[in-house]
Amino acid sequence: MSKFFERDRGVTVGTGEMSLGARSIPGVVPEGELVASCRTGDPEAFARLVRLHEGMVVSLAARLLGEVEEARDVAQEVFLQVYKRLSAFEGRSSLKTWIYRIAINQCHNRRRFWHRRRRDREQPLDEAVLAPVLPGGRAGAANPYEETLRRERARQVQAALLELRFEHRSVLVLREVEGLTCEEVAAALGVPEGTVKSRLSRAREAMRRKLAGLIEGEVRS
Amino acid sequence: MTCAGVRRRLSEWLDGDLEASRSRIVSAHLESCGACSRRADELRAVSGLLAELPRLEAEPVEAPVALRLELAAGSRRPALAFLFRGVAAARPFIFPSLVPAGCLLLLVFGALLAVDPGPLPEVRLAPGAWTSVPASGTEANPLFPSAEVLLPQQLASLSLSPELLAGHGEGSLFLETVVARDGSVAGVTLLEGDAGLEQPLIEALRQQRFEPVRFRGRRVAVSVYRLISRTEVRSPRT
Repeated sequence: MSKFFERDRGVTVGTGEMSLGARSIPGVVPEGELVASCRTGDPEAFARLVRLHEGMVVSLAARLLGEVEEARDVAQEVFLQVYKRLSAFEGRSSLKTWIYRIAINQCHNRRRFWHRRRRDREQPLDEAVLAPVLPGGRAGAANPYEETLRRERARQVQAALLELRFEHRSVLVLREVEGLTCEEVAAALGVPEGTVKSRLSRAREAMRRKLAGLIEGEVRS
Repeated sequence: MTCAGVRRRLSEWLDGDLEASRSRIVSAHLESCGACSRRADELRAVSGLLAELPRLEAEPVEAPVALRLELAAGSRRPALAFLFRGVAAARPFIFPSLVPAGCLLLLVFGALLAVDPGPLPEVRLAPGAWTSVPASGTEANPLFPSAEVLLPQQLASLSLSPELLAGHGEGSLFLETVVARDGSVAGVTLLEGDAGLEQPLIEALRQQRFEPVRFRGRRVAVSVYRLISRTEVRSPRT
């Protein structure tokens, strides 16, 4: 049915800085070539681009919005925007940072959309975001007790994250969860690096206050 | 540096973004100040907790994105979009594609014009009685000359021979002639005058031919009234 995407896991794209831990890279296509192919309207190239970045976009959106389904919806919008605006991508930042920027803007718009409709307070926090069940489990969380503790910690951290102002939340998620450098965060948000650092400082301080109980245990241990 | 100053810079210090000289001052302060050192540990714990958050797994969005792109591609070009493009941008094949459409339109309109629409539909009066009136514009229910229905033009002038007119006395004849749809005379009715005496004249009038009259694109039958006066003209007495 879909002429755009044919599933093909054989070839993927690498830039050297991509955090694509789980993806195997049998044949690596440079980012520039992928972008060039996408610009010519090659549906297979765009499919590859989507496959490459959908995980990070959905994860980022879910952390920022607190809902996985909402995040998937936003991710679709993000890739439609990417498709439309790819011709305007100048390559000054990496493709990943550029997509992050579109994703942040989309999340911000979505949040404002719900805020205008007074739904942001009524929305229940998504259990899948608060306490995700990881298929393989993490190192050190092999037994059920550890796993329960880990999920409870993640739930509290995510709940605290969702209480932050959007600009603090986005800077924290990009820096601490997605692991971007301050420079990349600045590029993704379109603000000066100094602003990123000051927001980061305030956001961390706010999280420290919100998670005081949890941190006490962490520091003691 | 005061505790407040150190705490303001702790976030940057933890990221290693602080310039070397300041970084050393902060490090030295943390070694001597238990409260600030504890604050640094707490912030480190915050980072640790955030870093521990797992990457969320969700259904791939590849298929819905592909579907939406396909839908967008299908509806991207609105109909008649070429009207809003510059002449230079108009691709030449657009115009040939209009030719068959134009031919079809011509064919349809031509067929409509060629087919004689026939008489106007019959009008039924008094629904209970189902009395039907012959269709308007037919020989049985002709129209009368008006602004829209022109007076029929005679094709070949009928010469009413002097004998035809002279055989009878003076007086006027009032006649109704119904000009049929094909231009022939469908009937002549003598409304005033002696039918027996005027028979030859009536016969002569029946032979007349007219240009068919049209009303709203249809040929119609028209009723024409004529008054023929015969007055003996005498030369003035000398």
